[in-house]
Amino acid sequence: MTTPADIEAMIAQVALRDRSAFSALYNATSAKLFGVCLRVLNNRAEAEEVLQEVYIRIWHKADSYTVTGHSPMTWLITVARNLSIDRLRKRKTKTKPIDEAAELADDRPGPEAEAIASSERAQIEACMTELDPRHAEAVKRVYLEGETYNGLAEAQNVPLNTMRTWLRRSLLKLRECLTR
Amino acid sequence: MSNPEDEYGDSTLAAEYVLRLLNPSEHASFEERLKDDPQLRRLVHDWEAHFAPIADEVAPIAPPPRVKQSVNAALHGEAKPSRSWSWGWFTGFGSLAVAAVTAFLVFAPILNPPDLTPSFQAELAAPDGSLVVTAGVIPATHEIVLDRVVGAAPQGRVLELWLIAEGASAPVSLGLLAAEGTTRIVVPDDIAPGVRTGTIALSDEPPGGSPTRAPTGTILATGTFVDI
Repeated sequence: MTTPADIEAMIAQVALRDRSAFSALYNATSAKLFGVCLRVLNNRAEAEEVLQEVYIRIWHKADSYTVTGHSPMTWLITVARNLSIDRLRKRKTKTKPIDEAAELADDRPGPEAEAIASSERAQIEACMTELDPRHAEAVKRVYLEGETYNGLAEAQNVPLNTMRTWLRRSLLKLRECLTR
Repeated sequence: MSNPEDEYGDSTLAAEYVLRLLNPSEHASFEERLKDDPQLRRLVHDWEAHFAPIADEVAPIAPPPRVKQSVNAALHGEAKPSRSWSWGWFTGFGSLAVAAVTAFLVFAPILNPPDLTPSFQAELAAPDGSLVVTAGVIPATHEIVLDRVVGAAPQGRVLELWLIAEGASAPVSLGLLAAEGTTRIVVPDDIAPGVRTGTIALSDEPPGGSPTRAPTGTILATGTFVDI
């Protein structure tokens, strides 16, 4: 299994324009990032296009990775997630995408990179459980599916401003817990 | 908090920004502030790190190989593999290539689809016989097809294939061997002419392959190609 230190070393080499390191980074992380793109976009063709953009961005921005202070997978996931959301927001019409999840579940994953450090994960998991379960679920859907305030308000059948107030209070609570 | 009039403060605003919940004008003005506010950038990075573990539940799904090819084409101008390559590509412009072109011209009407059998083969074997891998080259698809006959990568390591072209000063990575089954490696155009006459080698490397341009582990086996 590829460790975070391996991935960090690869990113450092990519910043030096090392193509074989870039290839190794792709092999070690593309399955996870493709999973993230697919989760947000729920459309295979779009997810493939965005994944391309993701690795082009990684190639060009590898030198700015250290500035973020992130663990390597956090940085890679953030790039993949943000570009996927950008693509989601650019969709002109909100067509209902075909749900490919069932079909995709059978795909064999590639070499799997080790995910986020367990301490980071434990912290956010613990703090999420302190939220109203509906709000925790909302935060998750916003992060993984690019849900908007409008969509959340509709789904929970509350006015937009109410939704926003709820979620902002939850974010405040989350912050308070995370910095505890 | 630099916005005391806002009861939720910059931290919450940064969280909304990271989650992409702000409307377009709020988003734009937040990004404007980010440019010269390191503290605000720090809040953004903090939230990014806090939220990223949510993606842990997302199962990895291997993307199709064409995505990597497109990325390489976009970044390095590497051509995407085509199906119409011929012998000469692997063998340079020697007499073999002439023979190949002749053969191609004679048999072209019959050879459709292209011949997918290997034209030259190598055996990579460790001196003590603990690792034996066969490699065959299919000129039609620019592929090296590798099969492990004996042995495997050491525990927690992977096997990486290298080409040391005739007269070359350093090995060039060709790719990693799959942990199981047959591995097919498409050889890039600029490296291919050196395959027939060069030496290929297997090294053991950390998962994901050598972190540098050169082998970092032990060279376990080497071999050269012979015509079939």
